[in-house]
Parts: sequence; structure tokens; C-alpha cells
Amino acid sequence: MTTTPPVVAFDQVSKAYGDVRAVDGLTLSLRAGETVALLGPNGAGKSTTLDLLLGLKNADDGTVRLFGTTPREALVAGRVGAMLQSGGLMDEVTVEELVRLACALHPRPYPVSDVLSRAGIARFADRKVDKLSGGQAQRVRFALATAGDSDLIVLDEPTTGMDVTTRQGFWATMREQADQGRTVLFATHYLEEADAIADRVLVLHRGRLLADGTAAEIKAKAGVRRISFDLAGRIDEQALRGLPFLTTLAVSGPTVRIQSSDADATVHALYGLGLHPRNLEVAGLGLEQAFVAITTAEEAKQQ
Amino acid sequence: MNGLIKLELTRALRNRKFLFFSVIYPSVLFLLIAGSADSTQKVDGTGLTLPTYMMVSMASFGALTAVLMGNSERIAKERETGWVRQLRLTTLPGRGYVLAKTASAAVVSLPSIVVVFVIAATVKDVRLDAWQWLALTGAIWAGSLVFAALGVAIGYLASGDAVRPITMITYFGLSILGGLWMPTTTFPTWLQDIAKWVPTHAYAALGQAIEQSQAPHAKDIVVLVFFFVLFTGGAAWLYRKDTLKA
Repeated sequence: MTTTPPVVAFDQVSKAYGDVRAVDGLTLSLRAGETVALLGPNGAGKSTTLDLLLGLKNADDGTVRLFGTTPREALVAGRVGAMLQSGGLMDEVTVEELVRLACALHPRPYPVSDVLSRAGIARFADRKVDKLSGGQAQRVRFALATAGDSDLIVLDEPTTGMDVTTRQGFWATMREQADQGRTVLFATHYLEEADAIADRVLVLHRGRLLADGTAAEIKAKAGVRRISFDLAGRIDEQALRGLPFLTTLAVSGPTVRIQSSDADATVHALYGLGLHPRNLEVAGLGLEQAFVAITTAEEAKQQ
Repeated sequence: MNGLIKLELTRALRNRKFLFFSVIYPSVLFLLIAGSADSTQKVDGTGLTLPTYMMVSMASFGALTAVLMGNSERIAKERETGWVRQLRLTTLPGRGYVLAKTASAAVVSLPSIVVVFVIAATVKDVRLDAWQWLALTGAIWAGSLVFAALGVAIGYLASGDAVRPITMITYFGLSILGGLWMPTTTFPTWLQDIAKWVPTHAYAALGQAIEQSQAPHAKDIVVLVFFFVLFTGGAAWLYRKDTLKA
């Protein structure tokens, strides 16, 4: 019995720039047909991970395989279409000319007009590439990544430079690619974007894989809330520590700061202790802070 | 790769400034320098009339412009914007980008050579045998590859703001020292001694030997081959360094 190799396989991959470990012992595997978001704050190692995946950079350690071959072999076979975050475009040529080039370079190209219309750039196909807005240029990059029948589409922060409305329109375009049975991998730092498109989310932080699950699972994990309040008199830390769903506790003077994975239950229990919190505030964590919360939890688990 | 060559060429032919400087400008310079010259007056020690002599200089100059000017700056810029990285995600072989650039420059350099010849023959009555015209075109065209390699090397060496001044200094240095604008015989002796080893001097000397119905000097061939190997090797080394860094 033969097994098909995974679409993407990272095995203990590391890449450092000087002292900075951009990717640190990363192991992951993508299966055919998955739509995967690579989620993480700026500097989490997303771009480096994609560079390694595409063979633009070589790993210091570990191996990267696409379809069981090297990234370069997979690219030459036309199995991968990719769009880089700041992948430049050739200037002084029109959008259509550039797309025609991308089609000419692909072993199994689609008709130029199809690529243009699917990427939503047919309207300005005659425009010079250097005269495009940021969002339009992103769509052209997307067209270059989808010029032919590739099995894996890699998109690095595809909606950068798009406003909210354009972004949602673009998600539909991305979903179409997934609906055709392709494996789609995209990097993003918008949780919302991952939630809207991906059926699997990989959370990257400091070059390590923090979480791997469905968007709902990640959201629950990142759904930590911050509760702060003041208490009069002596503060019984021991009692506070016993609050349900509490993940962290910090007391400074009269002020108590808590992070909780279920704020409602925690606050309810707080009153149940017979305490009278003043200046009570409950706030969601930003994605960045949520990552910190997840990291802290991960590190605590390891100890 | 043909797709990329075609597109590079379309782009080059669309760029009027580039076309003017590589195709029209050498002929204009030729007319300015040789225009008032007596068609029988000989350039010292060559046995060639000034128009005949300058025709080769200006054809060489035009080819030099075509292969050096556009590419170095474009490569530096496209490395910076990430277009080079984007191309590395296609089926295009690694060297395809550089080869396409060189090929499109070679297509533009051909008319820049021929236009000078046509102007020289019609306006200044330069007369040569048929084989000489053909050999001249071939030699100057092929010789321009030396400077195409130099253009690529500069494109991978310099970045952003530095590439233009470096290209300009190299370009004018090669043009003047190589005697493309005025015969090196007008230079002081010490400068002539330096000029002899400049690749553009050997390049123009190749054409002049053909005009004199002589075999090219072995020294000129050696100088050109030496610089070709140097520039190509340098370009390849810088290219690889850039690829690993990207």
C-alpha cells in the first residue's frame, strides 16, 4: 500500500538570523484539500516559515518537503502557486501582460482572461502595474499565484492594504480556490480572517507552533478576558486564586488584575466570595495579548 | 523563458528615453564629432579616416549603452521590490531572469549598431567591403556581451540609490578611457598606457582591425576574454550570494 505524501511536511525545521530564532523546531504537516491559516503577530515567524516552505530560504536544521519533493522541484512541476507579502511586480508593463507571463511560465496554465476575471482584475487589465493601488496590486499578485492548475496555493498576508469591504470580497475569491479542492495556506494576523476562511488554524509565536486546531478552538483559546477591579481592605490572594477559569492573577495595591477564560463565571464567583469589587472592568484581549496568554498557559503546562 | 524575454523586450521598446540614448544618441554624437571632419583626414597611426574610425567607436558606444544602462538599474530595483523573489516562485530556471535581461538588451543593441552604420555610410560616405560590414556587426554585437555581464554584476552589487551613480561612473569611465568618444591617440602617453587595458578600448580596437582588413590583435582578444570571464564570474557569484540572502 502506498501512501500519498503530505502536501507540506516540516520536520524539526529551524532558521535563525544571528541570535534571533525566527523558526524554532517547527514540525507540521498539511493534508490535501485543507484550508489552513498561519496565524501570528508580526515577528512570529510567519514569513520566514513561508520562505522556507517555498525554498526561498534554506533551513539551518530540519527538512521541508512539498508533495514528498523539495520545494524547488514542486515549484518547477507547477504544483505550487504563491503570492509573497511584498513580492514586487515588474513595472512599466500592463496587468494583462504580467498575467500572460505568469500563464506562460506555468506548465498547466489557465486562459489569461479566466485568471483576470477570477482575480477580479479584468476591469484594469490595461493599466500599468506601477499605477495600481495597494489593494489592486494584491489582487494582481493573487492572479500570478493562480495562473495555472496548482495543487497548493500559498498566500502571505494576502489582504494587506485592502479596506474592510475589499477584504471580505477577496475572502470569497480565496474560498473559491479552496472549493476547487486545492490546499490553501495563508498567513495572516487577523483572527477574523482565519475564522472566515480556514478550516484549520496554526498559531505561530516566536517561531514555534503554539496551537493547531479549528478556528473555533483557537478562538476559545484566545478568548481570554481581562478583568480588573479595586478592593477595599486586605486582599485575600488565596481566595482569589480559587476563582473559576482564572488563568493569571496580579495584585498591586488595591487593584486586582485577572485573566479568565470565562469572564462571566469568574465575575459571578467573585461576588459569590462576598467581595465588593469597585471600578470593575472586563475587556477582551487583543490577538497579540491573547498569544501571550496562550504562551503563558503553554509554558505553565510544561513546568 | 521566452515569455519573459518577450515582455522585457516590450518594456524596453516602450521606454523612449532608453531607446533614445541607446539607438539615436550614438548616431547624433557620430554626426557631431565626424560631421565637420574632412573625409580624407586620417586618424594618427590607424590609416583610417575620422568618420570610419568614429563609426566603430560610436557603434560600440551604442551597444555599450544598450546592454549596460538599462539592466544594472533594473536588476538592482527589481531585487529591492521583490520581483526577483516572485520570479523564483515560478518554473523559470534561476538564471532565466538574467538571461532574459541580457537577451532583450542584445536585441536593442543590434539596431543601435546598425543605425550608426547606416548614418555613417549615407551621410559621411564610409565605404567598406560587404564582409567588413557583416564582420563589424557581428564583432561589436558579440563583444557587447562583455558589458552585458558587467551590467548584471553591477545590478547585483549595488542597491537602491547607489546603482545609478555607479553605473554612470562605469559607463562614462569606460566610454572615455576606452576612446569611444575621441581617439586615444589624442591622450597623453601615460593615459594611453592605461587606456590600452580598458575593455572598451579592446572592444573598439576589434572593429578597427576589421576596418583595416587585419586580423584582430591577440592582446585585444585576451583583454576582452579576461574581462568577460571576470564580469561573468562576478555576476554569478553576486547572484548566488543574493539568492541565499533573499
